[in-house]
Amino acid sequence: MNIDKDLERILRRVEKPARYIGGEVNIVRKDPAEVKTRMAFAFPDTYEIGMSYLGLQILYNILNRNPDIYCERVFAPAPDMEALMRGEENAAGRAQEPARKLYTLETFTPVSEMDLLGFTLQYEMSFTNILNMLDLSGIPLRAADRMAEDPDAESWPVVIAGGPCAYNPEPLADFIDVFLIGDGEELLERICLEYAAVKESYSKASSDPAKAGLKLTFLRRIAGIDGVYVPAFYAPEYNEDGTLGQMRVTDAAAPEKVRRAVISDLENVAFPEKNLVPLIETVHDRSVVETFRGCTRGCRFCQAGMIYRPVRERKKETILDLAMTQLANTGHDELSLLSLSTSDYSRFEDMAVELMGLCRQQNVALSLPSLRLDSFSFKVLDEIQGYRKSGLTFAPEAGSQRLRDVINKNITEKDIYDATRQAIELGWEHIKLYFMIGLPTETYEDLDGIAEIAKNIVDINYQIRGRKGGRFRVTVSVSNFVPKAHTPFQWEAQDTPADFIAKHDYLAQKLRIKGVTFHYHESNTSSLEAVFARGDRRICRALEEAWRLGCRFDAWTEHFDEKKWARAFEAAGIDPDFYTIRPRSTSEVLPWDHIDPLVRRGYLEEERQRAYGGETTPDCREGCTGCGMNRFTECFRGADRSSAIFKNAAAGE
Amino acid sequence: MAKYVIEFAKTGTICYTSHLDLMRIFKRVFKRTATPLAYSQGFNPHPKMGFAQPLSLGYWGMEEFFECETEGEWEPDQLLQRLAEGMPEGIELKRCLPADHLTRTLAAHTVAAEYMIAVPAGAPAEENRKGGAPGDAPAPGDAAVEQDPDADLSDPRSLWHSYMDLDEILVWKRQKKKKEPKLINIRPMIREMTFQLAEDGALYVDALLDGGSDSNLSPELIISSVCRRFGIAADRSEVSVMRKKLVFDKPLEELLS
Ligand code: SF4
Repeated sequence: MNIDKDLERILRRVEKPARYIGGEVNIVRKDPAEVKTRMAFAFPDTYEIGMSYLGLQILYNILNRNPDIYCERVFAPAPDMEALMRGEENAAGRAQEPARKLYTLETFTPVSEMDLLGFTLQYEMSFTNILNMLDLSGIPLRAADRMAEDPDAESWPVVIAGGPCAYNPEPLADFIDVFLIGDGEELLERICLEYAAVKESYSKASSDPAKAGLKLTFLRRIAGIDGVYVPAFYAPEYNEDGTLGQMRVTDAAAPEKVRRAVISDLENVAFPEKNLVPLIETVHDRSVVETFRGCTRGCRFCQAGMIYRPVRERKKETILDLAMTQLANTGHDELSLLSLSTSDYSRFEDMAVELMGLCRQQNVALSLPSLRLDSFSFKVLDEIQGYRKSGLTFAPEAGSQRLRDVINKNITEKDIYDATRQAIELGWEHIKLYFMIGLPTETYEDLDGIAEIAKNIVDINYQIRGRKGGRFRVTVSVSNFVPKAHTPFQWEAQDTPADFIAKHDYLAQKLRIKGVTFHYHESNTSSLEAVFARGDRRICRALEEAWRLGCRFDAWTEHFDEKKWARAFEAAGIDPDFYTIRPRSTSEVLPWDHIDPLVRRGYLEEERQRAYGGETTPDCREGCTGCGMNRFTECFRGADRSSAIFKNAAAGE
Repeated sequence: MAKYVIEFAKTGTICYTSHLDLMRIFKRVFKRTATPLAYSQGFNPHPKMGFAQPLSLGYWGMEEFFECETEGEWEPDQLLQRLAEGMPEGIELKRCLPADHLTRTLAAHTVAAEYMIAVPAGAPAEENRKGGAPGDAPAPGDAAVEQDPDADLSDPRSLWHSYMDLDEILVWKRQKKKKEPKLINIRPMIREMTFQLAEDGALYVDALLDGGSDSNLSPELIISSVCRRFGIAADRSEVSVMRKKLVFDKPLEELLS
C-alpha cells in the first residue's frame, strides 16, 4: 500500500507508526466498488489493545466472508497521533477541520465515507474515545445532527454500537444511531445486508418530500429485529425526584422491549481461521478459540454471567480443528482458549490432553486461563508451564464465607488452602488473590478475612518450605465493586470514594505481612465507571462535556483526569452520586428496563432476596434454577451431558 | 539441514515496522509456511536466522539480506516461492542462494551501505534550526559544521565540494552511559557521496557509508550535517531514506562458494 506524502509526514513523527498502517498478514483486500455495504469496525482504544480482542477477529471474518460486505478497521489514535491529525502543530488551538481525518487501515478511506461505523463497547472507560473518533472523522457527534434536514445529512455513516456495555445503552444514546444487543455474529451481517437493500431501493429522485430519508427508512426497517435498539425511537420521561418515569416509544416501528439476539447453536456459527496477524507487538498476539459461551455459576455481581446465558458449547473436534488451522494460517507460537471459565467445558479433560499433545508436537505454548484448581488442572499446568511457572490465581472475591454466600461465589477457604498446598509442593512460588470490596452487606470483618487468607497462605508455605520460605510471594489485588445493569445487584448503592479509600487504607494496614504485596484500583475511576454502568440518557451531556474538556483514554491511569470529569458533571448539571451511591427500589423504572436480556427480571429480584438471606443458588448444571433463558433457546446445547461436571454437580445436590 | 541467503526488498507502509518487528514477521513466515528453521542448541534454543544489517524504522530497503538455516533441504527457488507466499505486503523476496559454505554470518561480512536520501531543499533557512540558538545544549545527532553561506542549491558540484572538501564533519554523538553527547568526525566514514537536484526541487544525496561492526555511520548524521551545511530548514519528517544496497567485504558469490 502506498500512501500520500502528508500521511508519510505524520507517520514519521508519531510514536509506533505501525499502529496506523494496516498491511497485516491475512488482511482482507476487496475492491470497495464491488461491495454493497462498507463498514468500519471501530475499537475505541489503541491498536495494540483492539487487535488483542477476539470479537474483532470474529466479526471481521464473518462480514468479510460475504462478498457484498467489506469490513475494515479503525482504532483510537494515541494522543500524539491525535495532535498530528488535528494539525495542532500549525494552528494554535484546535483546527476546524482535522488535518487528516480518521481513516480505515484496509484502504485508508476516511471513516466518514463508510456506510456503517460500528463501535465495540467493551468497557465504559472507553466512551470518550468514541466521541473523539467521531470528531476526528469529521462526523457530527449527535445522532440528531446526522439525521437533520440538512441535505448533506444523508451522507454520514450510520453509527452502530454493540458489546457488553450496550446492555445499558443510555449514556451513549444521543451519539449512536443503532445499538446491537446480544450475540453479534448473525445480527451484524443482517444489518449490513438490510442497509444494502435499503440503499438499493432508495432513490432520491423518485422520493416525494414527505418521504423519510435513507437513514430513517433504514432505522425503521431494522427497529423490529431482535437485538436492535434505535434510541431515537424512545423518549425518556423523568419523575420530579429525577428517577425515570417511563421510556416512551415514539415510532411505530419500534418495540416496547428490545430483546437480545441469541445464537442458539455455537457449533454452526463461523469462527476465524485466518486471523489477522499484527506486524507489531500487541497485548495478546496468539491464536484463540472460543470453547463455549455463557456461564452457569451465577455469581451475583457478574454481568457476563447473566447476559451471555445460556451455556452453548463448540464440539471438541471443532475446537481442535480450529486451533490447528489458526496456528497454521498465522504462524503463532501461542494458543489460548477463551470462555468465562475454561474448566467448565464439558469435555475439558479430553480436550486439554489432546491440545497439550498437539501443542507439544508443534512447539506451541498453550495458555489456559481461569482454570478451576483441582488435581487435573495441576497436572495440566505443571506440564504446560514446566519450569517457568507463572503465578497461580484464585478469585475468592470476598474475604469471608458469609459474604461469598451473599455474592454466590462458590469457593471455600478449604478449596484455596488445599490447592495452595498442592501448588507449593509442585513448585509454585507466587499466588495471586483477587478480591472485590464494597460488595453489598460488606463489613470490616469481611475485610479482615482477606488478610487472614493471605496470612494463612504464607503460613502454609512456611509449613512446607520451612522457616525461610524461599522466594514465595502472595499478591492481593482488590478491585472496587461496580454495580452493573442486568445483575441481581443492579439496585445496590456503590460505596463512596471515601469508603473505598478508608477500606484500602485498612487493608494496607492489615496486609503488612512479609511476602504479601497489596494492589488496589483507583476509587475515582470506579465511581465514574459506576455512573456509566447505570446511567440514563442525561449522562450524555456530561460525557460530551468531558470530551470537550479533553478527556480521552480514561481507562489509562496516566490519562484519567478526575478534575476535568468533576467539571464536566457540574457543567452538565449532573450529580454523579445520584447514580453511584443511591440505592434503587425494585419498583423504580431503570434506564435499561426496556432492554430484555432474556433472563427474567423477577429472577434477578429473587437472587437479590437470596443474597440478603445469605442463601446460595447452585450451579444450574445441577438443575435449572429458573432464570428464564430456556423460554427462548436450548440450554447447554452442544455440551456432553454425561460429562463429569454435570454428574459432580448433580451429586452435590 | 541447509543454509540459505535470501535477498529481499522492504518498501511501502511496512517500512514503519522496526527491525525487531521484522525478525518476528520472518520467524512467523517460516511457521506459517511449514518450513521449519533449525534451532540452536542449549538451554534457551532460538531459531537460526538473522539479517545482514538492521534497517531503521521508516527506511526503505531495496537490496536487503537475510540468512537462515532450515531443518529440511530445499531447492533455493522452491524455498523462495514457499516463503514469498507467507510474506506480508511490502516484503518482496528477490532471490535465494544456497549458503552452506558461508562460515561467518553475513552481518560479520557487511562493511558498508549505500543510501539515497531525499531532502526537500526549498529556500535556505535564515538560521539553521539544527543546533538551535546559541547557548542551547547540543542534542545527539545535531551537526556542528559551519553553514556555508555560498552553498548554491542549484549547483550540485559546488555542494559536493562544500561538503566533501571539509577536513572534519563534526556531529554530536550520544555516549554510552553519559548524559553529554560528544563531538565526533564523520568524514572518514563517508566513502562516496553525490548530490543531485530533482525537478521538484528536492535534493537527492546518494551516500556510501561505513556500515559494519568496525565502523558504522548512520545516515541520520548525514541528514543533519548536510542540512546544516547548506542551511536547509527541512524537518526530519520531510526527509525520506532508502537503503539501496549493502556492501560485503567480498563479492557475495565469493562468500557463498
Ligand atoms: S434456564 Fe435454567 S438451565 Fe438455562 S441458564 Fe437459566 S437457570 Fe440455567
